[in-house]
Amino acid sequence: MASTILVGPSARIHSIHEALKAAVNGDTILVDGGVYTEGSILIDKSVTLLGRNNPVIDGLAKNLELITIAADSVTIDGFTIQNGGVSFLRDLAGIRVQRKSFFTIRNNTLLKTMFAIYLEKASNGIIQQNTIVGEARDEISSGNGIHAWYCKNLTITGNTVYNQRDGIYFEFVENSKVSHNISKGNLRYGLHFMFSNNDDYADNLFENNGAGVAVMFSKQIGMFRNTFKKNWGSSACGLLLKEIYDGRIEQNTFIKNTTGIKVDGSTRIQYLRNSFENNGWAIKFVGGCYDNEITSNNFVSNAFDLVIESARNNNTIDGNYWSAYTGYDLNKDGVGDVPFRPVKLFSYIVSRSPEAMVLLRSLFIDIIDYAEKIRPMFTPENVIDHAPMMQKIIV
Amino acid sequence: MALLLPNMNHMKILFALILATMMMGCSSVVDPIEYGSDECHYCSMTIVEKQYASALVTDKGKTRKFDAVECLVNFIHENPEITANNLYVNVFDAPGKLVDATSCSYLISPMLPSPMGANLTAFSNMEQANAMLQKAPGKLYSWSELLALEKP
Repeated sequence: MASTILVGPSARIHSIHEALKAAVNGDTILVDGGVYTEGSILIDKSVTLLGRNNPVIDGLAKNLELITIAADSVTIDGFTIQNGGVSFLRDLAGIRVQRKSFFTIRNNTLLKTMFAIYLEKASNGIIQQNTIVGEARDEISSGNGIHAWYCKNLTITGNTVYNQRDGIYFEFVENSKVSHNISKGNLRYGLHFMFSNNDDYADNLFENNGAGVAVMFSKQIGMFRNTFKKNWGSSACGLLLKEIYDGRIEQNTFIKNTTGIKVDGSTRIQYLRNSFENNGWAIKFVGGCYDNEITSNNFVSNAFDLVIESARNNNTIDGNYWSAYTGYDLNKDGVGDVPFRPVKLFSYIVSRSPEAMVLLRSLFIDIIDYAEKIRPMFTPENVIDHAPMMQKIIV
Repeated sequence: MALLLPNMNHMKILFALILATMMMGCSSVVDPIEYGSDECHYCSMTIVEKQYASALVTDKGKTRKFDAVECLVNFIHENPEITANNLYVNVFDAPGKLVDATSCSYLISPMLPSPMGANLTAFSNMEQANAMLQKAPGKLYSWSELLALEKP
Protein backbone atom coordinates (compact mmCIF):
# COMPACT_ATOMS: atom_id res chain seq x y z
CA MET A 1 0.00 0.00 0.00
CA ALA A 2 1.65 3.21 -1.19
CA SER A 3 1.52 6.08 1.25
CA THR A 4 2.49 9.75 1.29
CA ILE A 5 5.15 11.02 3.66
CA LEU A 6 5.06 14.74 4.39
CA VAL A 7 8.31 16.62 4.91
CA GLY A 8 8.43 20.26 5.97
CA PRO A 9 9.61 22.74 8.59
CA SER A 10 6.36 22.30 10.46
CA ALA A 11 5.78 18.63 9.68
CA ARG A 12 6.76 15.69 11.86
CA ILE A 13 9.66 14.86 9.50
CA HIS A 14 12.04 17.74 8.76
CA SER A 15 14.52 16.16 6.36
CA ILE A 16 14.31 14.38 3.04
CA HIS A 17 16.94 11.93 4.31
CA GLU A 18 14.70 10.84 7.13
CA ALA A 19 11.70 10.50 4.83
CA LEU A 20 13.69 8.35 2.40
CA LYS A 21 14.73 6.09 5.23
CA ALA A 22 11.10 5.58 6.23
CA ALA A 23 9.77 5.18 2.67
CA VAL A 24 9.10 1.96 0.79
CA ASN A 25 8.86 1.42 -2.97
CA GLY A 26 5.88 3.23 -4.46
CA ASP A 27 5.63 5.91 -1.77
CA THR A 28 5.32 9.63 -2.43
CA ILE A 29 7.45 12.01 -0.41
CA LEU A 30 5.71 15.38 -0.38
CA VAL A 31 8.21 18.11 0.45
CA ASP A 32 6.87 21.46 1.57
CA GLY A 33 8.48 24.88 0.86
CA GLY A 34 11.70 25.64 2.74
CA VAL A 35 15.44 25.29 2.30
CA TYR A 36 16.91 21.82 2.70
CA THR A 37 20.67 21.61 3.19
CA GLU A 38 21.28 17.92 3.55
CA GLY A 39 24.41 17.41 1.46
CA SER A 40 24.11 14.56 -1.02
CA ILE A 41 20.75 12.83 -1.29
CA LEU A 42 20.75 9.22 -2.48
CA ILE A 43 17.42 7.89 -3.73
CA ASP A 44 17.65 4.11 -3.67
CA LYS A 45 13.92 3.34 -3.56
CA SER A 46 11.29 3.69 -6.27
CA VAL A 47 9.62 6.81 -4.88
CA THR A 48 8.13 10.08 -6.08
CA LEU A 49 9.71 13.21 -4.64
CA LEU A 50 7.10 15.91 -5.00
CA GLY A 51 7.78 19.54 -4.12
CA ARG A 52 5.00 21.82 -2.88
CA ASN A 53 5.50 25.61 -2.61
CA ASN A 54 8.93 25.41 -4.25
CA PRO A 55 11.22 23.67 -1.77
CA VAL A 56 14.93 24.44 -2.30
CA ILE A 57 17.65 21.83 -2.08
CA ASP A 58 20.84 23.79 -1.50
CA GLY A 59 24.31 22.25 -1.72
CA LEU A 60 25.95 25.40 -0.30
CA ALA A 61 28.67 25.08 -3.00
CA LYS A 62 30.42 22.34 -1.02
CA ASN A 63 31.34 20.53 -4.25
CA LEU A 64 28.92 17.67 -3.82
CA GLU A 65 26.69 15.62 -6.00
CA LEU A 66 23.21 16.83 -4.92
CA ILE A 67 20.74 14.09 -5.88
CA THR A 68 21.62 10.63 -7.12
CA ILE A 69 18.91 8.38 -8.49
CA ALA A 70 19.91 4.77 -7.85
CA ALA A 71 16.56 3.01 -8.25
CA ASP A 72 14.13 2.45 -11.12
CA SER A 73 10.89 4.43 -11.45
CA VAL A 74 11.88 7.54 -9.51
CA THR A 75 10.14 10.89 -10.07
CA ILE A 76 11.51 14.28 -9.01
CA ASP A 77 8.98 17.05 -9.52
CA GLY A 78 8.83 20.68 -8.42
CA PHE A 79 12.14 21.48 -6.72
CA THR A 80 14.79 24.17 -6.94
CA ILE A 81 18.18 22.51 -6.79
CA GLN A 82 21.14 24.85 -6.43
CA ASN A 83 24.78 25.52 -5.60
CA GLY A 84 26.37 22.18 -6.34
CA GLY A 85 29.90 23.54 -6.67
CA VAL A 86 32.55 22.44 -9.14
CA SER A 87 35.37 19.98 -9.25
CA PHE A 88 38.27 19.28 -11.59
CA LEU A 89 38.32 15.64 -10.63
CA ARG A 90 34.67 14.66 -10.74
CA ASP A 91 31.76 15.60 -12.94
CA LEU A 92 29.42 16.86 -10.22
CA ALA A 93 25.73 16.85 -11.03
CA GLY A 94 22.57 18.43 -9.68
CA ILE A 95 20.65 15.24 -10.43
CA ARG A 96 22.45 12.10 -11.56
CA VAL A 97 20.78 8.95 -12.82
CA GLN A 98 23.00 5.93 -12.65
CA ARG A 99 22.13 2.83 -14.71
CA LYS A 100 18.41 3.13 -13.95
CA SER A 101 15.21 3.29 -15.99
CA PHE A 102 11.73 4.79 -16.00
CA PHE A 103 12.65 8.03 -14.26
CA THR A 104 10.85 11.37 -14.60
CA ILE A 105 12.53 14.68 -13.83
CA ARG A 106 10.14 17.57 -14.31
CA ASN A 107 9.25 21.11 -13.24
CA ASN A 108 12.55 21.64 -11.49
CA THR A 109 14.86 24.65 -11.51
CA LEU A 110 18.58 23.89 -11.40
CA LEU A 111 20.84 26.84 -10.59
CA LYS A 112 24.63 26.96 -10.43
CA THR A 113 25.29 23.28 -10.79
CA MET A 114 28.29 22.00 -12.73
CA PHE A 115 26.29 19.43 -14.70
CA ALA A 116 22.59 20.02 -14.07
CA ILE A 117 21.15 16.64 -15.07
CA TYR A 118 23.61 13.83 -15.74
CA LEU A 119 22.27 10.58 -17.20
CA GLU A 120 24.75 7.73 -17.11
CA LYS A 121 23.77 4.45 -18.82
CA ALA A 122 20.15 5.31 -18.12
CA SER A 123 17.11 4.49 -20.23
CA ASN A 124 13.42 5.20 -20.73
CA GLY A 125 13.46 8.52 -18.91
CA ILE A 126 11.57 11.77 -19.26
CA ILE A 127 13.18 15.17 -18.67
CA GLN A 128 10.43 17.73 -18.89
CA GLN A 129 9.83 21.44 -18.24
CA ASN A 130 12.99 22.04 -16.23
CA THR A 131 14.83 25.36 -16.15
CA ILE A 132 18.59 25.16 -16.01
CA VAL A 133 20.81 28.17 -15.50
CA GLY A 134 24.55 27.63 -15.24
CA GLU A 135 27.58 29.82 -14.80
CA ALA A 136 29.65 29.07 -17.86
CA ARG A 137 31.68 32.22 -17.86
CA ASP A 138 34.73 30.10 -17.27
CA GLU A 139 34.25 26.91 -19.21
CA ILE A 140 36.12 24.62 -16.86
CA SER A 141 33.75 25.38 -14.04
CA SER A 142 30.77 24.32 -16.06
CA GLY A 143 29.49 21.08 -17.41
CA ASN A 144 26.57 20.43 -19.70
CA GLY A 145 22.96 21.25 -18.89
CA ILE A 146 21.47 17.86 -19.72
CA HIS A 147 24.24 15.34 -20.25
CA ALA A 148 23.45 11.85 -21.51
CA TRP A 149 26.10 9.15 -21.90
CA TYR A 150 25.24 5.66 -23.15
CA CYS A 151 21.48 6.13 -22.87
CA LYS A 152 18.39 4.85 -24.69
CA ASN A 153 14.80 5.99 -25.17
CA LEU A 154 14.98 9.42 -23.57
CA THR A 155 12.38 12.13 -24.01
CA ILE A 156 13.70 15.63 -23.38
CA THR A 157 11.00 18.20 -23.83
CA GLY A 158 10.06 21.75 -22.86
CA ASN A 159 13.26 22.53 -20.98
CA THR A 160 15.14 25.83 -20.95
CA VAL A 161 18.92 25.75 -20.66
CA TYR A 162 21.14 28.83 -20.25
CA ASN A 163 24.85 29.37 -19.72
CA GLN A 164 26.16 25.84 -19.56
CA ARG A 165 28.99 24.30 -21.62
CA ASP A 166 26.66 22.43 -23.98
CA GLY A 167 22.96 22.94 -23.38
CA ILE A 168 22.11 19.31 -24.12
CA TYR A 169 24.82 16.73 -24.79
CA PHE A 170 24.34 13.24 -26.22
CA GLU A 171 27.18 10.73 -26.38
CA PHE A 172 26.28 7.19 -27.44
CA VAL A 173 22.55 7.89 -27.06
CA GLU A 174 19.97 6.04 -29.14
CA ASN A 175 16.28 6.31 -29.98
CA SER A 176 15.75 9.55 -28.13
CA LYS A 177 13.74 12.69 -28.80
CA VAL A 178 14.59 16.30 -28.00
CA SER A 179 11.70 18.67 -28.58
CA HIS A 180 10.36 22.11 -27.65
CA ASN A 181 13.44 23.09 -25.68
CA ILE A 182 15.11 26.50 -25.57
CA SER A 183 18.88 26.51 -25.43
CA LYS A 184 20.54 29.93 -25.14
CA GLY A 185 23.89 31.48 -24.34
CA ASN A 186 25.69 28.19 -23.91
CA LEU A 187 29.43 28.34 -24.25
CA ARG A 188 29.92 25.59 -26.82
CA TYR A 189 26.79 24.14 -28.43
CA GLY A 190 23.08 24.44 -27.77
CA LEU A 191 22.71 20.73 -28.53
CA HIS A 192 25.52 18.31 -29.25
CA PHE A 193 25.38 14.77 -30.65
CA MET A 194 28.45 12.54 -30.53
CA PHE A 195 28.37 8.93 -31.77
CA SER A 196 24.59 8.86 -31.36
CA ASN A 197 22.20 7.19 -33.80
CA ASN A 198 18.48 7.21 -34.53
CA ASP A 199 17.60 10.34 -32.59
CA ASP A 200 15.29 13.23 -33.51
CA TYR A 201 15.21 16.84 -32.44
CA ALA A 202 12.29 19.07 -33.34
CA ASP A 203 10.73 22.46 -32.54
CA ASN A 204 13.65 23.69 -30.47
CA LEU A 205 15.12 27.20 -30.35
CA PHE A 206 18.90 27.62 -30.37
CA GLU A 207 20.05 31.17 -29.88
CA ASN A 208 23.32 32.88 -29.22
CA ASN A 209 25.34 29.77 -28.41
CA GLY A 210 28.97 29.20 -29.46
CA ALA A 211 27.25 27.21 -32.18
CA GLY A 212 23.60 26.20 -32.28
CA VAL A 213 23.78 22.45 -32.76
CA ALA A 214 26.64 20.10 -33.58
CA VAL A 215 25.87 16.66 -34.95
CA MET A 216 29.05 14.61 -35.12
CA PHE A 217 29.84 11.03 -36.08
CA SER A 218 26.17 10.09 -35.96
CA LYS A 219 23.67 8.31 -38.20
CA GLN A 220 19.95 8.71 -38.83
CA ILE A 221 19.42 11.99 -37.00
CA GLY A 222 16.16 13.80 -37.82
CA MET A 223 16.14 17.60 -37.47
CA PHE A 224 12.73 19.20 -37.85
CA ARG A 225 11.25 22.69 -37.42
CA ASN A 226 14.04 24.08 -35.25
CA THR A 227 15.10 27.72 -35.17
CA PHE A 228 18.80 28.59 -35.28
CA LYS A 229 19.39 32.24 -34.48
CA LYS A 230 22.23 34.68 -33.97
CA ASN A 231 25.10 32.26 -33.64
CA TRP A 232 27.75 34.88 -34.42
CA GLY A 233 31.54 34.60 -34.33
CA SER A 234 34.43 33.68 -36.59
CA SER A 235 33.94 29.94 -36.22
CA ALA A 236 30.30 30.04 -35.13
CA CYS A 237 27.47 28.46 -37.02
CA GLY A 238 23.83 27.54 -36.62
CA LEU A 239 24.35 23.86 -37.31
CA LEU A 240 27.62 21.98 -37.60
CA LEU A 241 27.56 18.58 -39.29
CA LYS A 242 30.66 16.42 -39.08
CA GLU A 243 30.85 12.91 -40.52
CA ILE A 244 27.18 12.09 -40.52
CA TYR A 245 25.07 9.75 -42.61
CA ASP A 246 21.40 9.49 -43.60
CA GLY A 247 19.99 12.48 -41.77
CA ARG A 248 16.97 14.62 -42.55
CA ILE A 249 16.90 18.39 -42.14
CA GLU A 250 13.40 19.70 -42.71
CA GLN A 251 11.52 22.95 -42.14
CA ASN A 252 14.20 24.54 -39.99
CA THR A 253 14.83 28.28 -39.90
CA PHE A 254 18.33 29.76 -39.93
CA ILE A 255 18.43 33.50 -39.20
CA LYS A 256 21.45 35.78 -38.73
CA ASN A 257 24.15 33.19 -38.22
CA THR A 258 27.72 33.65 -39.40
CA THR A 259 27.24 30.31 -41.14
CA GLY A 260 23.81 28.68 -41.28
CA ILE A 261 25.02 25.12 -41.75
CA LYS A 262 28.66 24.09 -41.91
CA VAL A 263 29.06 20.61 -43.30
CA ASP A 264 32.32 18.72 -42.98
CA GLY A 265 31.75 15.26 -44.36
CA SER A 266 28.16 14.17 -44.83
CA THR A 267 26.45 11.57 -46.96
CA ARG A 268 22.82 11.07 -47.93
CA ILE A 269 21.37 14.04 -46.06
CA GLN A 270 18.07 15.54 -47.22
CA TYR A 271 17.62 19.29 -46.88
CA LEU A 272 13.96 19.99 -47.42
CA ARG A 273 11.90 23.16 -46.98
CA ASN A 274 14.32 25.04 -44.74
CA SER A 275 14.66 28.82 -44.68
CA PHE A 276 18.00 30.60 -44.66
CA GLU A 277 17.74 34.33 -44.05
CA ASN A 278 20.41 36.97 -43.49
CA ASN A 279 23.27 34.60 -42.79
CA GLY A 280 26.88 35.18 -43.81
CA TRP A 281 26.98 31.80 -45.47
CA ALA A 282 23.75 29.81 -45.76
CA ILE A 283 25.36 26.41 -46.32
CA LYS A 284 29.08 25.79 -46.46
CA PHE A 285 30.29 22.37 -47.55
CA VAL A 286 33.90 21.66 -46.66
CA GLY A 287 35.34 18.18 -46.93
CA GLY A 288 33.66 15.32 -48.75
CA CYS A 289 29.90 15.62 -49.05
CA TYR A 290 28.10 13.13 -51.28
CA ASP A 291 24.58 12.23 -52.33
CA ASN A 292 22.96 15.10 -50.49
CA GLU A 293 19.69 16.49 -51.71
CA ILE A 294 18.85 20.18 -51.32
CA THR A 295 15.27 20.81 -52.44
CA SER A 296 12.52 23.37 -51.83
CA ASN A 297 14.53 25.59 -49.50
CA ASN A 298 14.40 29.39 -49.30
CA PHE A 299 17.69 31.27 -49.56
CA VAL A 300 16.98 34.91 -48.75
CA SER A 301 19.52 37.73 -48.40
CA ASN A 302 22.54 35.69 -47.41
CA ALA A 303 25.98 37.12 -48.23
CA PHE A 304 26.78 33.71 -49.74
CA ASP A 305 24.14 31.08 -50.41
CA LEU A 306 26.30 28.07 -51.00
CA VAL A 307 29.94 27.10 -50.91
CA ILE A 308 31.11 23.70 -52.07
CA GLU A 309 34.83 23.25 -51.64
CA SER A 310 35.28 19.77 -53.05
CA ALA A 311 35.89 19.51 -56.79
CA ARG A 312 33.57 16.57 -57.24
CA ASN A 313 29.91 17.24 -56.67
CA ASN A 314 27.09 14.74 -56.99
CA ASN A 315 24.72 16.57 -54.69
CA THR A 316 21.32 17.51 -56.07
CA ILE A 317 20.34 21.16 -55.69
CA ASP A 318 17.02 21.66 -57.45
CA GLY A 319 13.78 23.57 -56.97
CA ASN A 320 14.89 26.08 -54.37
CA TYR A 321 14.04 29.77 -54.04
CA TRP A 322 17.05 32.10 -54.26
CA SER A 323 16.55 35.81 -53.62
CA ALA A 324 19.77 36.37 -55.63
CA TYR A 325 18.20 34.84 -58.75
CA THR A 326 17.73 37.44 -61.48
CA GLY A 327 16.25 35.30 -64.26
CA TYR A 328 12.79 35.59 -65.83
CA ASP A 329 9.84 33.25 -66.02
CA LEU A 330 8.39 33.95 -69.46
CA ASN A 331 6.20 30.87 -69.61
CA LYS A 332 4.78 31.69 -66.17
CA ASP A 333 5.11 28.18 -64.71
CA GLY A 334 6.64 29.49 -61.49
CA VAL A 335 10.07 28.13 -62.38
CA GLY A 336 12.88 30.38 -63.64
CA ASP A 337 13.73 29.88 -67.32
CA VAL A 338 17.50 29.71 -66.86
CA PRO A 339 19.28 27.65 -64.20
CA PHE A 340 20.84 29.34 -61.17
CA ARG A 341 24.44 28.96 -60.03
CA PRO A 342 24.46 29.53 -56.27
CA VAL A 343 28.25 29.40 -55.87
CA LYS A 344 29.94 32.74 -56.46
CA LEU A 345 33.54 33.00 -57.54
CA PHE A 346 34.20 35.45 -54.72
CA SER A 347 33.23 32.84 -52.11
CA TYR A 348 36.12 30.74 -53.45
CA ILE A 349 38.53 33.61 -53.09
CA VAL A 350 37.32 34.23 -49.53
CA SER A 351 37.69 30.61 -48.49
CA ARG A 352 41.30 30.64 -49.79
CA SER A 353 42.20 33.95 -48.16
CA PRO A 354 39.65 35.22 -45.63
CA GLU A 355 41.20 38.71 -45.62
CA ALA A 356 39.69 39.24 -49.08
CA MET A 357 36.35 39.68 -47.29
CA VAL A 358 36.97 43.45 -47.13
CA LEU A 359 36.28 43.52 -50.88
CA LEU A 360 32.72 42.23 -50.43
CA ARG A 361 30.22 44.39 -52.33
CA SER A 362 32.93 46.25 -54.22
CA LEU A 363 32.53 46.92 -57.94
CA PHE A 364 35.54 44.74 -58.77
CA ILE A 365 33.96 41.73 -57.09
CA ASP A 366 30.64 42.33 -58.83
CA ILE A 367 32.48 42.33 -62.15
CA ILE A 368 34.38 39.07 -61.57
CA ASP A 369 31.25 37.40 -60.18
CA TYR A 370 29.34 38.51 -63.24
CA ALA A 371 32.07 37.29 -65.60
CA GLU A 372 32.09 33.95 -63.82
CA LYS A 373 28.33 33.72 -64.04
CA ILE A 374 28.40 34.16 -67.82
CA ARG A 375 31.28 31.81 -68.43
CA PRO A 376 32.07 29.61 -65.37
CA MET A 377 35.73 28.65 -65.14
CA PHE A 378 36.45 28.22 -61.46
CA THR A 379 33.14 27.39 -59.86
CA PRO A 380 32.09 23.76 -60.25
CA GLU A 381 30.13 23.28 -63.46
CA ASN A 382 27.50 21.04 -61.93
CA VAL A 383 26.63 23.00 -58.79
CA ILE A 384 23.47 24.28 -60.31
CA ASP A 385 19.77 24.63 -59.56
CA HIS A 386 18.00 23.59 -62.76
CA ALA A 387 14.60 24.70 -61.54
CA PRO A 388 14.94 27.84 -59.39
CA MET A 389 11.56 28.89 -58.00
CA MET A 390 10.27 32.42 -58.70
CA GLN A 391 8.33 32.73 -55.43
CA LYS A 392 9.32 32.00 -51.89
CA ILE A 393 8.29 28.52 -50.92
CA ILE A 394 5.76 28.36 -48.14
CA VAL A 395 7.10 25.92 -45.57
CA MET B 1 70.23 69.65 -33.43
CA ALA B 2 71.39 67.32 -30.74
CA LEU B 3 67.86 66.06 -30.33
CA LEU B 4 67.70 64.78 -33.88
CA LEU B 5 70.94 62.87 -33.66
CA PRO B 6 70.38 59.25 -32.81
CA ASN B 7 71.58 58.78 -29.33
CA MET B 8 73.39 55.55 -28.55
CA ASN B 9 70.86 54.44 -25.95
CA HIS B 10 67.97 54.97 -28.32
CA MET B 11 69.78 52.95 -30.96
CA LYS B 12 70.23 50.10 -28.52
CA ILE B 13 66.56 50.08 -27.60
CA LEU B 14 65.53 50.27 -31.23
CA PHE B 15 67.86 47.43 -32.14
CA ALA B 16 66.53 45.30 -29.30
CA LEU B 17 62.96 46.00 -30.41
CA ILE B 18 63.70 45.02 -34.02
CA LEU B 19 65.44 41.87 -32.86
CA ALA B 20 62.57 40.97 -30.55
CA THR B 21 60.03 41.46 -33.35
CA MET B 22 62.05 39.25 -35.65
CA MET B 23 62.40 36.56 -33.00
CA MET B 24 58.67 36.62 -32.40
CA GLY B 25 58.04 36.08 -36.09
CA CYS B 26 60.01 32.87 -36.32
CA SER B 27 59.70 31.34 -32.88
CA SER B 28 58.15 27.91 -32.46
CA VAL B 29 56.41 28.92 -29.25
CA VAL B 30 52.95 27.44 -28.92
CA ASP B 31 50.14 29.91 -29.45
CA PRO B 32 47.89 29.77 -26.35
CA ILE B 33 44.53 28.05 -26.72
CA GLU B 34 41.47 30.27 -26.50
CA TYR B 35 39.13 27.93 -24.68
CA GLY B 36 35.55 28.37 -25.76
CA SER B 37 36.35 29.90 -29.15
CA ASP B 38 39.17 27.96 -30.84
CA GLU B 39 38.15 25.05 -32.98
CA CYS B 40 39.79 21.62 -33.06
CA HIS B 41 41.90 21.34 -36.22
CA TYR B 42 41.00 17.66 -36.57
CA CYS B 43 37.36 17.30 -35.52
CA SER B 44 36.06 20.92 -35.73
CA MET B 45 34.69 20.81 -32.22
CA THR B 46 35.08 23.96 -30.11
CA ILE B 47 37.83 23.46 -27.56
CA VAL B 48 36.53 23.89 -24.01
CA GLU B 49 38.03 21.32 -21.68
CA LYS B 50 41.24 22.57 -20.11
CA GLN B 51 42.25 19.09 -19.01
CA TYR B 52 42.09 17.48 -22.43
CA ALA B 53 43.18 19.90 -25.19
CA SER B 54 46.42 19.50 -27.13
CA ALA B 55 48.49 21.41 -29.67
CA LEU B 56 51.15 20.94 -32.28
CA VAL B 57 53.57 23.56 -33.60
CA THR B 58 54.55 22.98 -37.22
CA ASP B 59 58.10 23.60 -38.44
CA LYS B 60 56.83 26.89 -39.88
CA GLY B 61 55.78 27.96 -36.39
CA LYS B 62 52.05 27.58 -36.93
CA THR B 63 50.07 26.19 -34.00
CA ARG B 64 47.45 23.54 -34.69
CA LYS B 65 45.04 23.12 -31.79
CA PHE B 66 43.01 20.07 -30.81
CA ASP B 67 40.24 19.48 -28.30
CA ALA B 68 41.54 16.09 -27.21
CA VAL B 69 44.77 14.11 -27.19
CA GLU B 70 43.13 11.50 -29.44
CA CYS B 71 42.60 14.17 -32.11
CA LEU B 72 46.31 15.08 -31.97
CA VAL B 73 47.28 11.41 -32.29
CA ASN B 74 44.87 10.82 -35.18
CA PHE B 75 46.16 13.96 -36.90
CA ILE B 76 49.75 12.72 -36.59
CA HIS B 77 48.75 9.32 -37.99
CA GLU B 78 47.10 10.93 -40.98
CA ASN B 79 49.95 13.38 -41.60
CA PRO B 80 53.13 11.31 -41.25
CA GLU B 81 55.33 14.20 -42.40
CA ILE B 82 54.77 15.95 -39.04
CA THR B 83 57.89 16.05 -36.88
CA ALA B 84 57.35 15.02 -33.30
CA ASN B 85 59.44 17.48 -31.28
CA ASN B 86 56.88 20.21 -30.59
CA LEU B 87 53.74 18.58 -29.33
CA TYR B 88 51.85 19.81 -26.31
CA VAL B 89 49.01 18.43 -24.22
CA ASN B 90 46.86 19.69 -21.39
CA VAL B 91 47.31 17.53 -18.33
CA PHE B 92 44.60 16.42 -15.94
CA ASP B 93 46.60 17.41 -12.87
CA ALA B 94 47.22 21.03 -14.00
CA PRO B 95 44.26 22.14 -16.13
CA GLY B 96 44.99 24.76 -18.76
CA LYS B 97 48.76 24.19 -18.77
CA LEU B 98 50.37 22.97 -22.01
CA VAL B 99 53.06 20.40 -21.30
CA ASP B 100 55.51 18.65 -23.65
CA ALA B 101 53.54 15.64 -24.85
CA THR B 102 56.53 13.30 -25.04
CA SER B 103 57.25 13.65 -21.32
CA CYS B 104 53.69 12.91 -20.16
CA SER B 105 52.04 9.69 -19.03
CA TYR B 106 48.72 8.65 -20.48
CA LEU B 107 45.84 6.71 -18.99
CA ILE B 108 43.09 5.03 -20.98
CA SER B 109 40.27 4.24 -18.58
CA PRO B 110 36.55 3.79 -19.27
CA MET B 111 35.99 5.63 -15.98
CA LEU B 112 37.41 8.86 -17.41
CA PRO B 113 35.62 9.88 -20.62
CA SER B 114 37.61 12.27 -22.85
CA PRO B 115 36.11 14.72 -25.39
CA MET B 116 36.35 12.44 -28.42
CA GLY B 117 35.39 9.14 -26.89
CA ALA B 118 38.84 7.55 -26.48
CA ASN B 119 38.79 7.73 -22.65
CA LEU B 120 42.33 9.05 -22.91
CA THR B 121 43.78 11.42 -20.30
CA ALA B 122 47.27 12.93 -20.02
CA PHE B 123 49.18 13.38 -16.73
CA SER B 124 52.33 15.43 -16.23
CA ASN B 125 54.19 12.50 -14.69
CA MET B 126 54.04 8.81 -13.78
CA GLU B 127 53.12 9.43 -10.12
CA GLN B 128 50.06 11.49 -11.03
CA ALA B 129 48.98 8.89 -13.59
CA ASN B 130 49.47 6.05 -11.12
CA ALA B 131 47.47 7.88 -8.46
CA MET B 132 44.54 8.17 -10.85
CA LEU B 133 44.95 4.56 -11.97
CA GLN B 134 44.10 3.48 -8.42
CA LYS B 135 40.76 5.31 -8.66
CA ALA B 136 40.05 4.72 -12.35
CA PRO B 137 41.29 1.31 -13.49
CA GLY B 138 42.72 1.20 -17.00
CA LYS B 139 46.05 1.02 -18.78
CA LEU B 140 49.02 3.41 -18.75
CA TYR B 141 50.97 4.43 -21.83
CA SER B 142 54.00 6.54 -22.62
CA TRP B 143 53.78 8.93 -25.57
CA SER B 144 55.58 6.50 -27.91
CA GLU B 145 53.40 3.60 -26.79
CA LEU B 146 50.34 5.75 -27.41
CA LEU B 147 51.49 6.59 -30.93
CA ALA B 148 52.04 2.89 -31.60
CA LEU B 149 48.37 2.16 -30.93
CA GLU B 150 46.34 1.66 -34.09
CA LYS B 151 43.66 4.12 -32.95
CA PRO B 152 43.56 5.33 -29.35
